[in-house]
Amino acid sequence: MAKVGVYVCHCGSNIAGVIDVSAVRDFAESLPDVVIARKDLFMCSDSGQEMVKQDVRDGLVDRVVVAACTPRTHEPIFRAAIEKAGLNKYLFEMANIRDQASWVHGNDHEGATEKAKLVVASAVGKARHLQPLHDKFVDVTNAALVIGAGIGGISAALELANMGHKTYLVEKEPSIGGIMAQLDKTFPTNDCSACILTPMMVQAFNHPNIETLAYSEVADVDGYIGNFNVKVRQKQTYIDWKKCTGCGDCADKCPSKTPDLFNGSLSDRRAAYIMFPQAVPKKAVVDIEHCLNCAGRTIGTQPKINEKTGKAILAPCERACRAGAIDRSLPLDPGGTIKEIKVGSIVVTTGYQVMDKGWFKEMAPASPNVITALQLERLISATGPTGGKLLRPSDNEKPHTMTFVSCVGSRDVNFHTHCSRFCCMYMIKQARLLKEKYPDLVINMHFIDVRSAGKGYDEYYTGAREMGINFFKGKVGGLEILPGDQLRVLAYDMEAGQSIEYSSDLVILATAVELPPDATALAQKLGLQFCGNDFFRELHPKLGPVETAVAGLFIAGCCQGPKDIPDTVSQAKGAAAAAAVPLAQGRVKIEATISEIDSQKCSGCGICEPLCPYHAISMRDYTDRARGVIERHAVIEMSSCKGCGVCTSACPSAAIKLHGYEDEQIYAQIAALTA
Amino acid sequence: MIIDQNKIDETIKIIKANGGHGIQKCVQCGACSAICPGVKAGFPLLCRALIKDLLNGLLEENIENSSSWGCQACNRCTEVCPQGVRPQEVVFAFRRYQANELAFSTSAVTSQMNLYETGHAVFTDPKEARRKVGLPEETPTSAFNEAAQQEIRTLMDNSPMGELGLF
Ligand SMILES: Cc1cc2nc3c(=O)[nH]c(=O)nc-3n(C[C@H](O)[C@H](O)[C@H](O)COP(=O)(O)OP(=O)(O)OC[C@H]3O[C@@H](n4cnc5c(N)ncnc54)[C@H](O)[C@@H]3O)c2cc1C
Ligand code: SF4
Ligand code: SF4
Ligand code: SF4
Ligand code: SF4
Repeated sequence: MAKVGVYVCHCGSNIAGVIDVSAVRDFAESLPDVVIARKDLFMCSDSGQEMVKQDVRDGLVDRVVVAACTPRTHEPIFRAAIEKAGLNKYLFEMANIRDQASWVHGNDHEGATEKAKLVVASAVGKARHLQPLHDKFVDVTNAALVIGAGIGGISAALELANMGHKTYLVEKEPSIGGIMAQLDKTFPTNDCSACILTPMMVQAFNHPNIETLAYSEVADVDGYIGNFNVKVRQKQTYIDWKKCTGCGDCADKCPSKTPDLFNGSLSDRRAAYIMFPQAVPKKAVVDIEHCLNCAGRTIGTQPKINEKTGKAILAPCERACRAGAIDRSLPLDPGGTIKEIKVGSIVVTTGYQVMDKGWFKEMAPASPNVITALQLERLISATGPTGGKLLRPSDNEKPHTMTFVSCVGSRDVNFHTHCSRFCCMYMIKQARLLKEKYPDLVINMHFIDVRSAGKGYDEYYTGAREMGINFFKGKVGGLEILPGDQLRVLAYDMEAGQSIEYSSDLVILATAVELPPDATALAQKLGLQFCGNDFFRELHPKLGPVETAVAGLFIAGCCQGPKDIPDTVSQAKGAAAAAAVPLAQGRVKIEATISEIDSQKCSGCGICEPLCPYHAISMRDYTDRARGVIERHAVIEMSSCKGCGVCTSACPSAAIKLHGYEDEQIYAQIAALTA
Repeated sequence: MIIDQNKIDETIKIIKANGGHGIQKCVQCGACSAICPGVKAGFPLLCRALIKDLLNGLLEENIENSSSWGCQACNRCTEVCPQGVRPQEVVFAFRRYQANELAFSTSAVTSQMNLYETGHAVFTDPKEARRKVGLPEETPTSAFNEAAQQEIRTLMDNSPMGELGLF
């Protein structure tokens, strides 16, 4: 017969403020097999745990029920405690009388107390039938995957590689670098973005422990912490990267033009292109959607022959390439190739996008002189479309008056309620850089308020005031297009309480930071969830900022929420450290509360196999030598099973047992609840 | 200014009861005032400035202020407000409060009387002008239709406006 001990927690006033804890304790004492019922102000405190341990050591109890808060945070604490006292840690059951009673029935003290009694009775019912279970361990693949190679991904990959772990760095674009590669200079020190980023890109690319898979995407993921199987789709480049020297001759000769997204579409690029001058790897790709198939050279066809010369008529790109990296007669698969890798942990650093100006009808999006701040970065960058000269897009004239509009789509219930966090700072940066270069330029900045929290950040802002940049408190209400591609700015000066109206040559919109649309598909593949602001959700907003609900999967950088470069790098290094833990440990624990199939009972019907959301079940054939027949059974891969119980309830032969949630345990709970 | 929580609470209650439900969502960004034609025309206590005063509990203090009657009900403020305040509703809620306290501007009283009598808030006798251009003297509107006027009067008598005792 089981000897159940019940321990009821006051949780300060969290529980005792609503529930009559003494009444619950008295009730528990009357339940079958309960030998001891105690209460304490804080069961999770040292003294509370000690009380349980002592009862175990004294041999008074061999099953423990703690009626307190949520097992999510506290079950591990009590399990560890009874294990230390010498009891199998699975001989423990938690009754959540806080979240399920005192918190939700705060206005009904009597009802909450009665419900707490039921919850305790149910836990005791189950505890009487608990069996000792044992965790299992599996070996870990000592390798990590980092998805997205912006400054966050590069930092995380370098950290993991320097710790000695093989690291795959997957980037969807032809070059690593992310949005930082598009920036001119960076606040608050104004160092040139490329000067600090390029060396890191090169370092990551050349690191002996890092394998960079550029122009690639994650196609499929399965497995579990310690052993993820990942299929990476390497997109078709149409250019042999082993031969390509990055000379750019193909791009020079390619006649096809399409907006250059790297330059914010302020200029064109060719169908054959290298992403930007400092690209790493510096390799060309053919953007097949915009390829004109010159000389009738569709991929995989033989060239026509010039009747006079008898020579093959090649496309300009093929002819231009001296390295012989372009051969359009090869039957290249447009789907690219799939590379399968095995890793122990995954870090997601897929970053963000800024909203397009087209969303904001009141901000005259049709005007070429209304641009986003990211476009302005390209306009002032030495590698940008104007070679770094500030020229307004409509007529390539130098602007005299320029306007910055903050919070476009951020802090706005119609778009995103969150603050995009780094716009105030980059707008001040852009204004300072421009004012330094063009002292005559009139710069008007319109903010709801300036958010400059960070070391040296507020000084950067107040310094901008001294440089003669005009600051107005008050959100811009709208823009109107005037003759000559001028813009009428409809603004307001909060402090003066007056409306402002003036004509501006160039208007910069600080549009909101959000996840790119393909983040949803990636989240589905990885099991990532979204937070209230539609970024990837961390495990805990304070204590688990890089962890996720999936063990072994970590997040960092702007995909977790808007943050500037220093914060992205810090978080990325934190995520790398966390991702290295399972790799360093060499093996991971598989909780014992997973399902197991009794092959004697399994009829081989296969109903469970497609139902498992984690693809943990497979059907295998066995030869029964004694009977001379081949039999089919389902088997569960224990490192993939998450113990959800779907298969258990579906099996018509009742062949599947979910340890820790066995039939008799659950029936006992139901019986207690319905008694 | 003294911060008097009771006054603030009372003011917000009155404004909400009169239809300005979003007032407490305002973060004072100023976007509404940037595009408000009333503010531009020189009525200072509209949109965000009016909301700020009300959030400070300054209700009675502003009862005679005529800015609210400068609102054109264009609703551009509602369109640009990033917080879903619906500033125009707050302005109108304040107007309702003013009206209930009989703190009308003369122009507002005149237009209410016109409406009650002719069915037009702004009414000038058109007969002369219409005769000159060869149109029938009387417009086909409530102004020359006793039955329609009666309907309008019944509606107004039975609306909160009737309770003000203006007519
Ligand atoms: C106009 C502007 C100016 C700025 N100026 C500054 C400044 O001066 N100082 C500062 O500190 N910060 C500045 N920032 C902020 C800075 O850009 C970010 O902090 C930084 O880029 C965040 O890095 P990240 O690695 O998280 O994301 P990103 O830079 O967005 O990198 C993400 C990478 O992941 C890749 N990726 C995305 N999805 C996938 C996928 N499914 N599979 C594979 N790869 C994928 C992307 O192609 C990209 O390379 C500025 C931002 C803007 C918009
Ligand atoms: S065939 Fe080559 S040169 Fe012609 S458009 Fe395509 S990539 Fe450019
Ligand atoms: S309990 Fe069954 S269905 Fe659920 S994860 Fe495990 S094997 Fe798959
Ligand atoms: S509705 Fe009234 S308060 Fe709002 S913008 Fe128009 S005039 Fe101004
Ligand atoms: S636009 Fe909305 S949030 Fe901004 S000041 Fe006006 S009412 Fe307040």
